Amino acid sequence: MKSNNTASPFSFLLVLVAALLFSGCSRQKGGEQLSGSARDTTLVIAMLGDADYLNPVLASSVTSGNITGLIYPSLLQAEFDTSTGLLNYLALEKSLRPVSDKGGRSPKGALARTWTMSPDHRSITYILRSDARWEDGKPVVAGDFKFAYRLYGNPVIASPRQQYLAELVGADKGAVDFDRAIETPNDTTLVFHFYKPVPEHLALFHTSLTPVPEHVWKSVRPDQFRESKLNMQPVGSGPYRLVTWNRQQDVTLSSNPSCVLPKPGNIRRIMFRIVPDYTVRLTQLQTGGVDVVENVKPEDFTSIQRGNQNVELRTVGLRVFDYVGWSNIDHDYYNQTKKFRPHPLFGSSVVRQALTHAIDREAIIDGYLGKYGTICNTDISPSLKWAYDDTIKPLTYDPALAAKLLEQEGWLPGPDGIRQKNGRRFSFTLYTNAGNDRRNYACTVIQQNLRELGIECKIEMQESNVFFENLQSRKLDAWMAGWSIGLEIDPMDVWGSDLEKSRFNFTGYRNPRIEQLSELAKTKMRPEEARPYWVEYQQILHRDQPVTFLYWITETHGFSKRIQGALLNISGTFYNIDDWKLKPSANAVP
Amino acid sequence: MASYIFRRLLIAVPLVFGVLTLTFFIIRLAPGDPAAFFIQPGISPNVAEQIRQQYGLNDPLPVQYIKWLGNVLHGDFGRSFSRAQQPVFDVISEALPVTMTIAILTLIANFVFGIIIGVISAVRQNSFLDRFLTVTALFFYSMPEFWFALMMIILFALKLPLFPVSGLNEVGAESYGPFGFFMDRIWHLALPVTVLSINGAAGIARYVRGSMLEVIRQDYVRTARAKGLSERVVILKHALRNALLPVVTLMGSSLPFIFSGALFIEVIFAFPGMGRVTVEAIFARDYPLIIANTFVSGTLIVLGNLLSDVLYAVVDPRIKL
Repeated sequence: MKSNNTASPFSFLLVLVAALLFSGCSRQKGGEQLSGSARDTTLVIAMLGDADYLNPVLASSVTSGNITGLIYPSLLQAEFDTSTGLLNYLALEKSLRPVSDKGGRSPKGALARTWTMSPDHRSITYILRSDARWEDGKPVVAGDFKFAYRLYGNPVIASPRQQYLAELVGADKGAVDFDRAIETPNDTTLVFHFYKPVPEHLALFHTSLTPVPEHVWKSVRPDQFRESKLNMQPVGSGPYRLVTWNRQQDVTLSSNPSCVLPKPGNIRRIMFRIVPDYTVRLTQLQTGGVDVVENVKPEDFTSIQRGNQNVELRTVGLRVFDYVGWSNIDHDYYNQTKKFRPHPLFGSSVVRQALTHAIDREAIIDGYLGKYGTICNTDISPSLKWAYDDTIKPLTYDPALAAKLLEQEGWLPGPDGIRQKNGRRFSFTLYTNAGNDRRNYACTVIQQNLRELGIECKIEMQESNVFFENLQSRKLDAWMAGWSIGLEIDPMDVWGSDLEKSRFNFTGYRNPRIEQLSELAKTKMRPEEARPYWVEYQQILHRDQPVTFLYWITETHGFSKRIQGALLNISGTFYNIDDWKLKPSANAVP
Repeated sequence: MASYIFRRLLIAVPLVFGVLTLTFFIIRLAPGDPAAFFIQPGISPNVAEQIRQQYGLNDPLPVQYIKWLGNVLHGDFGRSFSRAQQPVFDVISEALPVTMTIAILTLIANFVFGIIIGVISAVRQNSFLDRFLTVTALFFYSMPEFWFALMMIILFALKLPLFPVSGLNEVGAESYGPFGFFMDRIWHLALPVTVLSINGAAGIARYVRGSMLEVIRQDYVRTARAKGLSERVVILKHALRNALLPVVTLMGSSLPFIFSGALFIEVIFAFPGMGRVTVEAIFARDYPLIIANTFVSGTLIVLGNLLSDVLYAVVDPRIKL
């Protein structure tokens, strides 16, 4: 009798567990069933985090960006030319520059047949193809673009891409006047009007935001836009369509058979699998559980290549760099009075030069990045060959010269071995974000280098959110951080003199000539013509050393060797993913 | 007993509520900004402001609190900031079953293995087997779970490919049929549940051993032996039942611990459970989701404690509630 008492809650537990184990079993809604060799036709990509919105107006996570790019159509195809570092834009029958054979993008992927820029550069007219259809069979029309732009520009929706609308008519007066800025005389003609002359490449860049189907979205109120269930059921017309999305687990796409932009994706299924832990992502790459893992750390290269013959490392660069930021101005004084005076330690460009000479950047690269690091002189990447000044000689590691420069500035060794000037010791805290092994390593090398020179450098790691907030509110005197550069050069967010407007000018470096050069460059209707301005820009930054640029990082991604035809460049790992092929495994049934 | 439970539940309401209020203020006063993600070059400076406006973060703190209070009293915990504006209880109801599965399987494994090991080492006190089990249990008990999990993955998924590295199911598991799907799920849960339960079972084994040793020396055990009962019956029926009294109460209080332990396991094995929801919500400063998670785990702790008190009364007739 007693045993009956204990059996009933226990069997209840068993039933509960069984029910839970089956959860997710019935979520499949794609209709098509996988054959036994599902893995042979499915490309699995490991991602760090889940998608947020599968809607190009709202998407802000990396995963969402990758997925919406495959599901939604695009007006133009952007191609990155590695020989010049310039972006090229392709329509079906026209391209901005001659098409390079290495570009790897099919112009058939573009919705636009052609475009015309008006002679005064104040408007651009696209002629669209008429054969593209949304997944539900309705044609993709010019009205879908106008509708989408209204969404991008709506402050209630708060799209992270509203910056693209900054040149449209009305934007200079506070709000875009959509009725005048975008015209759709018929279903295949789309006209954008700007309030000022805009260089053609910039006009193409800013008018190529992804459209959304008006007939699907028009009944959704702007204040409910972010909450709408439609964000999870995207209707696109690109090479792939959504099959399932198991939140925080995986997003599965399948090749869209009705796609003409440019064609249905080669690989039948693509699955983005969310694996938050780095070590586990790597292990899965080695066991063949996933095919692509982005951003492999240099310390794991040898073990990966030794561990599995079917994995290869692919590199792209250079787009990402680390730097040590020095506050050029006295932040506390600025925060209190909004007036400027030089920072007591880092206010002089000679001191900053001395600091760069004092830091052994080669040693950091050799010790951590190896051949995947390159010394960085300024924030213009060597990959942007059209603008990069290769005559600049990096400031070498030269402690003797650094000491001489410091003494010239009045920083003399004090009784405790730390340099002093007017009673102020050269002592500061170098802040960085916690959890980054590379920066951690670089910080310790820098601390060591500076100590040898008689400078006391304490290191403090802060949680990323806290670090970023302190940086923004100008509470840090010295810090290590990094930037990933845009493919169009626009440095005013980082170096603009108006610190209230230039939100990322954390150093407080102010140089009117830098602003001038950047404005002059924007007036050139062809980017190549702006090269002299960018060369001067680099020389000024090199001379003034507003920060110590450390190194460019070659990003390294792990790929399964069964992937064929992948072209990688700094515009993205999944640049031509719809053209990739999977080599069938040996046991595949033909 | 019913009135006791009712009273306890009544006290729990202001308790949980106090915890939520504290959490509300702590997370808002802590540094960090839910809209920080939108502050980056290339994104218009207006976006972060528009987002803050939408989330109601521009109101003064007392106003925010009163609005929040009103909503919570209507049962509305709001929508997640970081997860595409999903209602927070949708996020939790997707994550909770995953964590519950792991927690319940772990709980069962914990107690089964813990009791077996504990009884063996008590009965064979000071033998080689007892020493061996004690040292092994201590070894696993003091091991950090996340490290142990990674070692298990490297050992049993990479070096000896017996188990999958992560995830709840294999790619394409939907086509295996219900039984295949079930087995696939079990196969994926084997490593994580092992990691979680080895650690927990080691702790429980120590408790069982201690309380078993105490009971074995009692007069009624000697009496049972003197009656001529077999050793098996003496140990399992007379001794174990009494020795389990303090252990049973562990069941209620270990539930919240299993939840927090599952946090590492979920991140490492890529399970979309509560632990991951909580950690990601904290890093993203997703206020509504943090509060809802606190609500769920706070309630669980209160219920777990209540459960262990009630269980105590159920198994020990001497205790009246």
